[in-house]
Amino acid sequence: MGKGLTTRRMVVAGVLGAISILLGITRLGYIPVPTPAGNATIMHVPAVIGGIIEGPVVGLIIGLIFGVSSFLNASIPLFKDPLVSIVPRLFIGVVAFLVYIGLKRFNKYVAIGAAGFFGSLTNTVFVLAVAVARGYFTLPVALGVAIANGLPEAIVSVIVTLAVVAPWKKIGASRKKKSKIS
Amino acid sequence: MTRFEWSRKITIGHYIPIDSIIHRLDSSCKLLGFTVLIVAIAFCNSYFGNVLFFTFALFLFVLSRLPIRYGLSGIKPAIPFMVILAVLQLLFYGGGVTASGTVYIHYSFLLITSDSVRLVVVSAMRFVEIILVSSVLTLSTPETELMHGMERLLKPLKYIRFPVHQFSLIIMIAVRFVPTFAMEMEKLMKAQASRGAAFGTGRWWQIIRRTKDMFPLMIPLFRSAMARADDLVLAMECRCFVPGQSRTTYRRGKARSRDFSFLLIIIGFSLFALFYPFPG
Amino acid sequence: MAAEPIIDVQHLEHTYMKGTPFVHQALTGVSITVYSGECVAIIGHTGSGKSTLVQHFNGLILPQKGKVIVDGADLSDKKTDMKGLRQKVGLVFQDPESQIFESLVGDEIAYGPFKMGWPIKDVRDAVKGAMEMAGLPFDAMKDRPTAALSGGQKRKVALAGVLALKPKILVLDEPTAGLDPRSGMELLGRLKTLNEQEHLTIVFISHHLEEVAYLADRIYVLDHGKNIGEGSPATLFSNKKMLEKYRIGTPETVDILYRLQDAGFSVNVAHYGIAEVASQICSILEHGPRRDRYDTV
Repeated sequence: MGKGLTTRRMVVAGVLGAISILLGITRLGYIPVPTPAGNATIMHVPAVIGGIIEGPVVGLIIGLIFGVSSFLNASIPLFKDPLVSIVPRLFIGVVAFLVYIGLKRFNKYVAIGAAGFFGSLTNTVFVLAVAVARGYFTLPVALGVAIANGLPEAIVSVIVTLAVVAPWKKIGASRKKKSKIS
Repeated sequence: MTRFEWSRKITIGHYIPIDSIIHRLDSSCKLLGFTVLIVAIAFCNSYFGNVLFFTFALFLFVLSRLPIRYGLSGIKPAIPFMVILAVLQLLFYGGGVTASGTVYIHYSFLLITSDSVRLVVVSAMRFVEIILVSSVLTLSTPETELMHGMERLLKPLKYIRFPVHQFSLIIMIAVRFVPTFAMEMEKLMKAQASRGAAFGTGRWWQIIRRTKDMFPLMIPLFRSAMARADDLVLAMECRCFVPGQSRTTYRRGKARSRDFSFLLIIIGFSLFALFYPFPG
Repeated sequence: MAAEPIIDVQHLEHTYMKGTPFVHQALTGVSITVYSGECVAIIGHTGSGKSTLVQHFNGLILPQKGKVIVDGADLSDKKTDMKGLRQKVGLVFQDPESQIFESLVGDEIAYGPFKMGWPIKDVRDAVKGAMEMAGLPFDAMKDRPTAALSGGQKRKVALAGVLALKPKILVLDEPTAGLDPRSGMELLGRLKTLNEQEHLTIVFISHHLEEVAYLADRIYVLDHGKNIGEGSPATLFSNKKMLEKYRIGTPETVDILYRLQDAGFSVNVAHYGIAEVASQICSILEHGPRRDRYDTV
């Protein structure tokens, strides 16, 4: 990874930030889950992808864009609090990047999936931690939300991240797969 | 019925072009002032402070001459969540980690104290205040102005080697590409629907099905975003774009004394409401 | 041609963004009829409403004003089964390869049939049939990763993904746009075979008059949301006045014939096939061209 914001990094950050905003304002990025934290979302996936392919700074900036847009578009009290909606989001891409860098020596494909998983988990855990600290939720409620929202979010994140990043990095799954109709 | 025809309708900003003192404020002062206000509200835990902030938020709305229904429309859809949140906080928070304050009700697991009531009331008020304040900001400022304001606001950070230009350009690209991707997404939805996909028809408990429904949209959307990024990088480099090189701007904002006094008032007010030792 | 109309559009209007400052009327009164087994081309300038029109055929856009009847089903009727309609009318969008999301070719093509809830054996047969129609060998291609395909192959996969639903009508929005000429020609050949041998009704949008001349039985010309002309390629291409008025342009062969005509030679513009044009030119050469006008030809 080179240093600084190259043209490529700026553009990738901008373009993925755009997706994050789009998913937020159109509500297409939501999986309705009945919890007090509202819907499960996949708006954090751009930050994860940005972090993996262009490094922590890009991941952080996309996280910031996601955070601000989620703050401005929030219609539930929890996310109208900038400490909940912005601060935790900064770490998503950074964690995804660290996980990917740490694991890519062993197996790149697994590293991408794991980055998707932990990036998503970062979002869930940090948001809920702040929410508990700020008195919105108690611990048991937060744990419930973590499972009801966090799990689908993490699964979607893994699948989308793999499907997007693996071909982009020209990595195939290690074992040969067969289509469902075989 | 036009279920698929939504991409033309999306808007990022919600700017309403009327004239008022708030509309005329210099965007960088306005942005800074409102940010300070929002952060101050987020940290305010006292009843009195919140009443002050609430009054101030209403005052800003009146000053901006925006119809108050725009502010209220942000609150209405949130009411169910506010109620659920309030009930949860009321029922469980008292029994949580820090049970303090005067005990009102104590019945088996149920423990309601003055602190938990305060929490419920204060977080509901904070929410309403922030909705009002952020609506005034977004309703009275065009998005391009917001971006220019942000760029000018960040300018001093250049001296600590923060990449102000690059950062602003990223935000600009992000905002610029939202409508493009909206069209892309609409086309994808139509294309997949033509192959038998039925979006948004699963019941709310069919979480797995609804989750699966996302893949035919999200995966192509991200891929096309990456492809577009590649094209844009090429186009920028062909035009000799150098990251960080200083660029001139077409619009030049200039803060006047009026803008600075607005900023001072907001900061002074926020500090007062936050730190004045109100009784109770 | 068979006489039974399969798509019947009467006085169709469509306005985007009704009630906003960005209101735009894309269709101002279109009436077209497509008969079963036909291959119909829709031509017209960008913004003439072609894409809006074809999206009515499978109910992606429902008629605001006017009537759309597809295979006996009235689309204004709320009870019309949309899923069934979309199975019957296969719509292939522009750059359809951008919709590919599965990692394996077979799964991608099977997406539609699975969504229809067909049993796995039927899905397999449908995918196999569709792949063969699109020119993808089933056994060799079904387990290939989609990411590693070429542009032409991706388009075939996308086409197969629609054909796998066994549609009665295939609607294509600029099927060859963005393909290299060779893949484009191959695709057109396949469409012709589908139309002639599988008796699939085909409606396609095109800017390429060569491809319209090659494929279409009949052409509709759209302009500003209205159909302004209709007819077989032969009648349409010989209507020079209309071609000029709406600046539609002509296939190269027709262009050559018109130039010969202008130069004073007697040619038949209705016979614009490459072989026919060649033989017309040959006969002119045999009977001796008029030397004085030769340079303008």
